Amino acid sequence: MSVAARDRFDGLTRAEQGAVGFVVLLAALLLFGLATGGLAPTYFLYLVGLVGMYVLLSFGLNVQWGYTGLINFSVAAFFGLGAYGTALLTAGNSPLGIEGSRLLGLIPLTVIGLLIAVVLAAVVAVAIGIPTLRLRADYLAIASLGLAEVVRLVFLNQRDWTNGSAGLRGIPGFFQGWPVLETFPQAMPNLRVEALEVSIPGVFSTRILGFTLDAPFWQALLNVAFVLALVGVVFAILRRAHRSPWGRVLRTIRSDEDLAEALGKDTYAFKMQAFVLGSVIMALAGVFYAHLNLFVSPGDLEPINTFYVWIAVILGGSGSNRGAMFGGFVVIAIREGTRFLGELLPGALPAADIPFTDLVVSFPSVVETTYVTVVSNFASTRLLAVGLLIVLVMRFRPEGMLPPQRELIWPRSVAESAGPGETNPRETIEEEATATAHVSDASDEVAPDEVAPDESTGDESTGDDLFDDAPDGTGDDTSDSSDDDTSNDVDAPTDASGDASDEGGERNE
Amino acid sequence: MSVLEFLANGLVFSSIIVLSSIGLSLVYSIADFANFAHGDTMTVGAYAALVTFGFVGALGGEVLGLPLGFFVALAVGVAVAAVVAVVTHKLVYEPLDVDSIGLLITSIGVAFVYRAVIQLGFGTGFIEFEITLLRPIEALLPYGIRMTMHDVAIVASAAVLVAGLHTLLQYTDLGRKMRATADNPSLARVSGIRTGRIELWTWIIGAGLAGAGGVFLGLYNNISPRMGFNILLVVFAAVILGGIGSVYGAMAGGFLIGMINQLTPLLPRLGQELPLIPESFGIPIGIEYANAIAFLIMVAVLLLRPSGIAGEEAT
Repeated sequence: MSVAARDRFDGLTRAEQGAVGFVVLLAALLLFGLATGGLAPTYFLYLVGLVGMYVLLSFGLNVQWGYTGLINFSVAAFFGLGAYGTALLTAGNSPLGIEGSRLLGLIPLTVIGLLIAVVLAAVVAVAIGIPTLRLRADYLAIASLGLAEVVRLVFLNQRDWTNGSAGLRGIPGFFQGWPVLETFPQAMPNLRVEALEVSIPGVFSTRILGFTLDAPFWQALLNVAFVLALVGVVFAILRRAHRSPWGRVLRTIRSDEDLAEALGKDTYAFKMQAFVLGSVIMALAGVFYAHLNLFVSPGDLEPINTFYVWIAVILGGSGSNRGAMFGGFVVIAIREGTRFLGELLPGALPAADIPFTDLVVSFPSVVETTYVTVVSNFASTRLLAVGLLIVLVMRFRPEGMLPPQRELIWPRSVAESAGPGETNPRETIEEEATATAHVSDASDEVAPDEVAPDESTGDESTGDDLFDDAPDGTGDDTSDSSDDDTSNDVDAPTDASGDASDEGGERNE
Repeated sequence: MSVLEFLANGLVFSSIIVLSSIGLSLVYSIADFANFAHGDTMTVGAYAALVTFGFVGALGGEVLGLPLGFFVALAVGVAVAAVVAVVTHKLVYEPLDVDSIGLLITSIGVAFVYRAVIQLGFGTGFIEFEITLLRPIEALLPYGIRMTMHDVAIVASAAVLVAGLHTLLQYTDLGRKMRATADNPSLARVSGIRTGRIELWTWIIGAGLAGAGGVFLGLYNNISPRMGFNILLVVFAAVILGGIGSVYGAMAGGFLIGMINQLTPLLPRLGQELPLIPESFGIPIGIEYANAIAFLIMVAVLLLRPSGIAGEEAT
């Protein structure tokens, strides 16, 4: 590890270090599996694709829940709308399908499918949003779950449109009908990676590598490129949007909707925009899924899929896109990892290696039966793991593993306020607005000059900033306040609020 | 099938929905969050009764076509559901430091844990109580109603439980304290009511009723790990229709939603069944959308009258 990387790692918070460690460990495990031949390269890429899909879904939910505080329990419905939107057009057995792979011999059908999916999701989002977005948060949860069930029932029962529970098969890859990319997998050479004999003399000897990179592999690579492109574009857009005045209004709505209303913002319109944007992102994930899996069925719209995405967002940290990526990673680790473990573990405990069996007669048998039950029912075990994870996260870390910190702030203001790690308070968004408001009120009375340091930490979701419509307005704030910093240093101990003095101190490290 | 028979079926199904929606509404008003684990509490009650029935099923005597053992199993199911809910409250909800939305999300995790444990213990398939199916009651057949003694037992038991709850709420000390706490927790606390204890009783009563609902649902259809979660949204629809926080509203809402759910097959041939409407009139909707209708009613109620039938509090 180079010195710079070392410093960077030390600069992270403990939670960040943990998350990085987890991801590195898991990646190492996957690479190990890849090298020893336990994991086929095509399957590895499929997993990467799934991670990308969950990251997209989490991004979508993050726009709704993480930033705007909308409890949307219809993630699976929008995912399904996206998947069905494109599949209905392109699938081999679709009752509404179109023959051929291009429309009018020009535009690839899959592109049309993508557009249809997006439009469908947007229309349904508006239709669901109109009745539900004015409701109290917990009503929205119930209503959206109910409407998601309606969507699922429609896909399940309108057989003449959707082929019912049999699902849609024969969906082409996304790049079918595209100029060059359609034949890319076939055009690429079949690479044979020869097996290597690795041995430490006298200790062990094993064969590693040894697989062929053939057409399915290149196809999978193309899919991964597609999902990475989607993730990249969505991430860039969201990053920009969340730091913009629009994003600040959303975060204000989440912390205190009345405040946003009082400042003259049409919160219903903002909520609707966020809801539609999030739903469209989920539909994009659905489009990708349809062309990855090449089969969709109403089972993909089951409520459990909604809650997988919720776990990803809650675990990662509501409102944090970094967290959403991490969460997507963990969810796939749980989903695929439990499946993998189920195949790997022996069906029964190896006998006779538990000591003192004669002393505690009943105990080992209980352990054994439990073990057998757990190993033989991995679907149920996964459900148990998911449930426990939700409960534990809410109990011990309700703000998630990687709550939003610096990513909400323009990089420039972070650079100027300098300082590693926890320069900025680890507050969740809810606290930000109120806390800052209080602090500035208090210090207003003590010494008006000291208001600036609070703002310089970049808590953009304060009410004041709502009026500040220039995106780089904070940059100006920061330069102002860094001037004040020197004077603030002296005054810091006498500052009425502990918060402000802490920040002042840390910033000058 | 005649209209009367649909109404009879609706009555039986309504009884089950009423029992569960009362519990959900109680918890919603006193613990102050939408408990998504309520459906799975019903499942817990059903499985507890199933296991108990395996032991005491042979217990002699017969009431309303059911062996006495079934009522013992019912009591155990209710008790287990209540105990599980109280333990969950103490272990999970009470130590939490989150708002009501956080509690809502946590309750989904709790629901998954319940269901997963049941699946690990009993598998994912359908099971039935080993009670011989009865023939429909002869006396009702001339009216076109096919109803067994078991259905009567469900309705009667539900009526007894609801009447008991009404007595409890209106005429006992605990009931008054519960109503006071639901109305205004802070005021209740300064008046010297131990709201923590009231909350515990709410969980016991709410989950107990859910357990009873689960047992009857198992008797009416069959038992499976997903039975509770599948019916949860219908119960929510009933609670919202009745007005969140109102026990009597929940009863009315549960009755209406249960009826509508079972009357769905009538909709396409509405004109033939009702007077004063042209023969050909009907709402073309299949029985597979029975639940969807309940959800749409729920959304419509939220939109037009969020306080529900009996609720006073507006959003």
